[in-house]
Amino acid sequence: MDRENRAGERGVETLRNGNAAAERREEDGARTESDRDPDTERRISISFCGGAPFLWRAGDIKRAREEDGVVGALVGCLARQPRQNVRLGRPLEVLQEEACLLLERRRAAAVQHKDNQKNEGSRLKAVQVYQARLERSYEEQCHLALEDKKAVLQRVMNEEQNDHSGNGGTEQAVRERLSSLEKNFCFPRSAMAVQLCTARAGFGHCPEEFSFLSTDWPMPRDERSETRFRVYRDLRRKGFYLTSAGKFGGDYLVYPGDPLRFHSHFIALCLSMDEQSPLCDILAIARLGSNVKKTVLLCSPRDLSDGEVEGEVVYSSLQWSGMV
Amino acid sequence: MDEDNTAGHSSWIKQHPVYEDLMNLDVGDGAQVYAAFLVYLNLTEVRGWEDVVGVACPELQVVLLEGREKEGELVRVVYPLPAHRTVSHKDLRCILDRGHPMLLCAVASDSTLVYQQLCDGLLTPEPPVGIQDQGRRQHRKRRLQT
Repeated sequence: MDRENRAGERGVETLRNGNAAAERREEDGARTESDRDPDTERRISISFCGGAPFLWRAGDIKRAREEDGVVGALVGCLARQPRQNVRLGRPLEVLQEEACLLLERRRAAAVQHKDNQKNEGSRLKAVQVYQARLERSYEEQCHLALEDKKAVLQRVMNEEQNDHSGNGGTEQAVRERLSSLEKNFCFPRSAMAVQLCTARAGFGHCPEEFSFLSTDWPMPRDERSETRFRVYRDLRRKGFYLTSAGKFGGDYLVYPGDPLRFHSHFIALCLSMDEQSPLCDILAIARLGSNVKKTVLLCSPRDLSDGEVEGEVVYSSLQWSGMV
Repeated sequence: MDEDNTAGHSSWIKQHPVYEDLMNLDVGDGAQVYAAFLVYLNLTEVRGWEDVVGVACPELQVVLLEGREKEGELVRVVYPLPAHRTVSHKDLRCILDRGHPMLLCAVASDSTLVYQQLCDGLLTPEPPVGIQDQGRRQHRKRRLQT
């Protein structure tokens, strides 16, 4: 309780508390709702943290999965079970390509963190309001605690009276305590219950957080990420669900439907047409693929200069032939 | 065959008529031709393929092998390649776009071979066998644990 209190007084939230940050995002969304047109309002907001795209709002996560096939991975700590990492909660980290495609199709907007300096005044005001509310709450709780204590003593006194066992001394002592209570009662601040209104905390980020959060923008920056993105987009168009295939040494795992319902069918390797890869790497991944009953897909985007528009990406399936 | 390596092919290999034929295709990549010859021997002597012939692929400057696994089956193209080489998707497509089913064969320096099947587009893998059995087995296990 005391710790929460101090955190509250500082008026800053730490990012460690995933849930609080999530609620704050929700709040950000709610606040600006009035000045958004319905189209923009339906957009999924993507926050960037050190270049990694995150979805914070549960509604966004649901919509991205149902409507856009964005699977991603939950990476946040569950607020009530912080000492385990088996089950995780929000935020949802999505692939760069997923974020890119959402942005490209105007289904999502990257959250712009507003400049903190401008809002310095309103921030201070918010802190004052918060502290005033704390003060009010303290007085209220102080009053309630006093009433409570009085009621207890009163009850004890009544019991003594009804008892008639003749021990007048106890009754007297209780009466004295009751009368001195008014004067000497002190409600320690550390005993005060503090409500952290995480759902509506109007605090912004501190400057360090702010500069950290607004660093990056998800654009294909080099040839490699461009290749990955084009393959991602094409496979999504074909209706596949994709997740990252780090554990299979590939780029994407390709599912015929929602990964909750299906095993993946393919391990996609994104490489440009001219990229030379060691044959032994190809052997290794093809052999692994056959072990896990998946086809390895070599995916190369076509040259944009090529006239033919048969398909944006060339796919070749690679399977261990089983000829031993 | 084991004592041979690409550095010094024994004389019987050099005198083998098929090896000479392959060399005469003039692709200028000795190691690849040697690999192709080993694959040729494997296909004809071990696997009993029919009508195996070497053809030159001028685009890639390599020797390919064409043959049928059994008589009456489709012609398959085999691309033999020493295992330490690199390969690009473009090279593979160059052969794949000829329209025949294709096998990529990696030949290790100890002459062990592995064939990888390549085809155009997305080839859905065979479903794992006995999914239902597995489910039942899991169920049994769970029951045993409780």
